Amino acid sequence: MSNGRDFEATERDRKGRRKVFYLTFAALALIVGAFLIWKLRGLILPIIVGALLAFLFRPVKERFKIRWLPHELQVLCSFAVIGLVLFFAYNTFRKHIPDEEQKLEFKVRLKYKLNEKYRQLVAKPPEGKSNAVLPLIEKELGPVMDKINQALELNREERNLFLKYAAGYNGKPPVQSKFVGYFRANQNTREYVIPEKAPAGGPPPTGPVAAASAQPPAATEGASLENKLSAWILAPLIFVFLGFDNGQIRRFSISLVPNRYFELSLTVLDRLDDSIGNYLRGTLTECFLVGMTLTLGLTLLGIPLGIAVAIGVVSGLLNAIPFLGTAIALVIGLGYALIAENIRPLIPGLNPNDLALYVVILS
Amino acid sequence: MSARNLVADKLLWEKLGRWKRSSPELDRIQFLKTVPFFDQLSNRQLKSVSDIMFERTYDIDESIFEEGQPGAALFLILDGKIAIEICRETSTTRLAVLDRGAFFGEMALLDETPRSATARALERTRTLALYRNDLNELVHRDAKTACQIYRSLAGMIGDRLRLTNELVQMKAPADKVGLG
Repeated sequence: MSNGRDFEATERDRKGRRKVFYLTFAALALIVGAFLIWKLRGLILPIIVGALLAFLFRPVKERFKIRWLPHELQVLCSFAVIGLVLFFAYNTFRKHIPDEEQKLEFKVRLKYKLNEKYRQLVAKPPEGKSNAVLPLIEKELGPVMDKINQALELNREERNLFLKYAAGYNGKPPVQSKFVGYFRANQNTREYVIPEKAPAGGPPPTGPVAAASAQPPAATEGASLENKLSAWILAPLIFVFLGFDNGQIRRFSISLVPNRYFELSLTVLDRLDDSIGNYLRGTLTECFLVGMTLTLGLTLLGIPLGIAVAIGVVSGLLNAIPFLGTAIALVIGLGYALIAENIRPLIPGLNPNDLALYVVILS
Repeated sequence: MSARNLVADKLLWEKLGRWKRSSPELDRIQFLKTVPFFDQLSNRQLKSVSDIMFERTYDIDESIFEEGQPGAALFLILDGKIAIEICRETSTTRLAVLDRGAFFGEMALLDETPRSATARALERTRTLALYRNDLNELVHRDAKTACQIYRSLAGMIGDRLRLTNELVQMKAPADKVGLG
């Protein structure tokens, strides 16, 4: 009798110890996993992108299977074809990515045009007619405009660089005098909301100084960019690695499943694969169509083809992010519409001054 | 080149050939050749079928599938023994005992209808499973192979139907059967 009790007590102890061991092990595994994820977080996005691309292009790989060609060679060939297409697309797109000078010019133009539009919006009506909405607009939009102005403010280095480009620098022709005028006008932009007097103890930092201090050192920025780029090398590697997979990953995952759930897991995995694949490929098609429509629409509105393609591509890609992507795309399109000049819409009857409105409708 | 060199070259190439194809893969293809279900297929076709099959090992008394569950795969017995049974509340009827080379659950290749019987391992058994959707995909990838498998399946189901008809005719009284 006592033997039985001893056995039960030992068993209870053993179960308790086992529980403690498993809990400790699980907690440790969790901590190590979280630590690894945190440390390798820079690699997560490239890995996901590579895996996603491999997943998206799998039907293409399956469709163009050539019986007499070894599987690995087929994958390498298809990767080379996709790489070439992407390279040419990037090369075409890169021509429209603004360089240093164009970025400065873009900032100057955007700041000038936004302030111009804002001033037109809040301009007092003639003959002293009162307008109840204007003070409200000024109250709401004034601080926003101040923040935008602060963000678009050129710091000391950028100002010097712009002035150099204005006179012709780095083998480039001088910046158009109109934009130099914008630059000078921007220097005199006042704040729309008068800040309350700061308490005694020292003058508040000026805009450009604050902006300059917020800028990271150039060397650190360069190093971080390099790190990011080197991490992105993983994406094509993951893409090729997963492309080589000929069902081995699925087979391995299924081999981990207990026999009892073998058929069930196969069915579930298959349906999951179908649903996720259809969703992602549908989203990709939608992005492509949105990009195409926007490019076509912007071209018809008279925006130069290169810019229209660039905006279309960016907007199409961003469209993959639900809600937010559309909003960002709208902001990009609207941003360009606000600074665009000498636009001649291809559709007769459209007023070039209402370009922003047309872009909003199109988006 | 001397005869000795030629023989050495031949041996080297043979060795390389053997090294290229792993032995389990070859064994599996050799096994598939012996299964009537795949007897019409060439070595290349057998290789593509073998690539989409899953190997599973079952312990004694472990169920491979149970009656009423939706079916998804055909099973081939690599080695071991399987009992096909119908379980009722009070009794279990054993319909068949299958061993190496036999296959079961073939109706799952056609649709998702529930399994009509339970399959249970009588000893430690290794099986190869062919999943329905993998066979469906094979139709797009290698239509000829898939067609031959479906043809074998149709022939097998036809044979069973004929056999069932004969059994019904034999067991039913002559006056009720005489319909022509």
